[in-house]
Amino acid sequence: MNTQLVPLILRDNLRLPLLEIKDLHAGIDGNEILKGINLKIGPGEIHAIMGRNGSGKTTAANVIMGHPDFEVAEGDVILEGESLLEMESWERARKGVFLSFQYPQAVPGLQVGNFLRKSVASIRGEEEAKGAAFREKLTMAMESLDIPRTFMSRYVNDGFSGGEKKRFEILQMMLLSPRLAVLDETDSGLDIDGIRTVSEGVNAAIRGTDSGALIITHYSRILEHVQPDMVHVLLDGKIVSSGGPELATKLEERGYEWLKQE
Amino acid sequence: MDSASRYLSLEKPNKADHLWRYTPWKKVHPTGDVSEIPLLGQPEISLGVIDGSDLPPGIELKLGAAGEPDFSRSSAFTNSFLHASAESSQWTLVVDKGFSSEKPIILEVDTGDSPSIAHISLEIGKTSEFELITRVTGSSEWFGLLRTGQIQDGAVVNDVVIGLLERGTMLRSDSIDICRDAQVRAGTVSSGSERTKSDLRYIMGESGGNIRVLGSILSTDSMHLDHHIEIHHEAPETYSRLSWHSACGGKSRTIGTGMLTIRKGSRGADAAQIFHNLLLSKSAEADSIPELEVMENDVVGCGHGTANGPIDEEQMFYLKTRGFDEDDAKRSLIAAFLNSTLSEMGGEALHEWLVGELSLQLEALNA
Repeated sequence: MNTQLVPLILRDNLRLPLLEIKDLHAGIDGNEILKGINLKIGPGEIHAIMGRNGSGKTTAANVIMGHPDFEVAEGDVILEGESLLEMESWERARKGVFLSFQYPQAVPGLQVGNFLRKSVASIRGEEEAKGAAFREKLTMAMESLDIPRTFMSRYVNDGFSGGEKKRFEILQMMLLSPRLAVLDETDSGLDIDGIRTVSEGVNAAIRGTDSGALIITHYSRILEHVQPDMVHVLLDGKIVSSGGPELATKLEERGYEWLKQE
Repeated sequence: MDSASRYLSLEKPNKADHLWRYTPWKKVHPTGDVSEIPLLGQPEISLGVIDGSDLPPGIELKLGAAGEPDFSRSSAFTNSFLHASAESSQWTLVVDKGFSSEKPIILEVDTGDSPSIAHISLEIGKTSEFELITRVTGSSEWFGLLRTGQIQDGAVVNDVVIGLLERGTMLRSDSIDICRDAQVRAGTVSSGSERTKSDLRYIMGESGGNIRVLGSILSTDSMHLDHHIEIHHEAPETYSRLSWHSACGGKSRTIGTGMLTIRKGSRGADAAQIFHNLLLSKSAEADSIPELEVMENDVVGCGHGTANGPIDEEQMFYLKTRGFDEDDAKRSLIAAFLNSTLSEMGGEALHEWLVGELSLQLEALNA
């Protein structure tokens, strides 16, 4: 045994997972959708969940974020050793959980600039939401996502195209620097250039940091740009298979039916 | 017949009358004795620029009214009462032809602490371009505001009245003629007084008139805010939009009634009215009744609508996922709802000023 590896192994064993989902059973209106999910994401890791429509992917995202309509019957969702389940969604956000929505809500009358400042102040602290440093960070993030300055005076997601909404979600993620980013079908409705731009945003926010991401998607295209460490397949509320990035390619080629037969 | 005699000769309105369905005349009369035309005080009125700089030449507030107002398309009852009561409390805002100001002009009306009334006649000159804020503050038990006059050919005017009385009742009546090709945004921001009854009428009697009537109403506690808005298209190629947003909390009640008329011969008229009500508590109540009278077939469009509802739970969740706590999220959504109309009332400076005024009211909101 190489004795030099021991301290590293011990250190890694002692490190808490960033996110740990334990035997999670959850649903809505009395219907169980998630039927015992287990998942661990370590610091600096990007995981992907793939699955058919109705398999429970968006439910998982909503339960992690604390949507009030979803009920957890059993299990736990733990961020860095602390259970999230008793926390309000705004408390989870302040702990560092970020959800990029599949269908972001429009809020007519609420200006993007004011919304971003308020959000950064709430999560990162007042100091981070003002001054030249904030403006510089905002400008750089907007430029990297091809978002024009005129966005600032528009209303949140009001009249945005599908691509603009998704880029705006990633802009928020970049400004909020979350511990855990959950991206719920951020690639849907985006063209190839949009997927590349958004992927670069995800890589910039997560890669090389000790934050993590959970990418929920139907397609392997975004995973070509954001190489996941692990891919999980969700079928009928259960993770039925996990593997490396090659699993996404296999799913793209063969669909999901073969997993049912195994 | 003078206004006092006229008022006393008219039969008192009853609930069958659309205008008085929700707020009986007795409730908004200064003494409650409807046969009385009481002696009322004068508010303090001053004209200035929003940032405190010198008033530019070409705009002036004069004592006295500019002739007898035409009340033929207004409520004879309300206006004869207000006109008679304001006999010694009249001003005229005279704006010269071609006057222009980039900075909003502010007409400050301080009601003081005793019942008062003002009749302000607007004489807005041709092709003038400016923004006017009329801010009503004070702590009197009753205040009456009668605004009459005309916005002349080609003028571009944003005209916002903001009511911030600390208590009591405000009775307001506007009767404004929009002349040929004039473009007007008429805004009402109401968040003061325990009881408000407004009767706002805009008449487009010449072609090319264009008006957007906008309301941002915030009612709290046990306020009762009743606004009636009439827009009359009486000439071809006239355009109007009415957008009225009321946020209603506590045990308060807001009422918005609209009347849109398109007279025969008003070809190419384009009109729409919509009322949105945001209910912030189970005890709050909001009523909206948009009405139309269309006598011309050749119109571009003429529509109306109304929508009531509580705060959207999905919007709440979205803001919470961005770190807004319960109160922040709620306050932000109410502000956003009111801002949708507030932001349409004028330019950036005016908008920022209005947001500042309203944010103080929102801070005190106890929905």
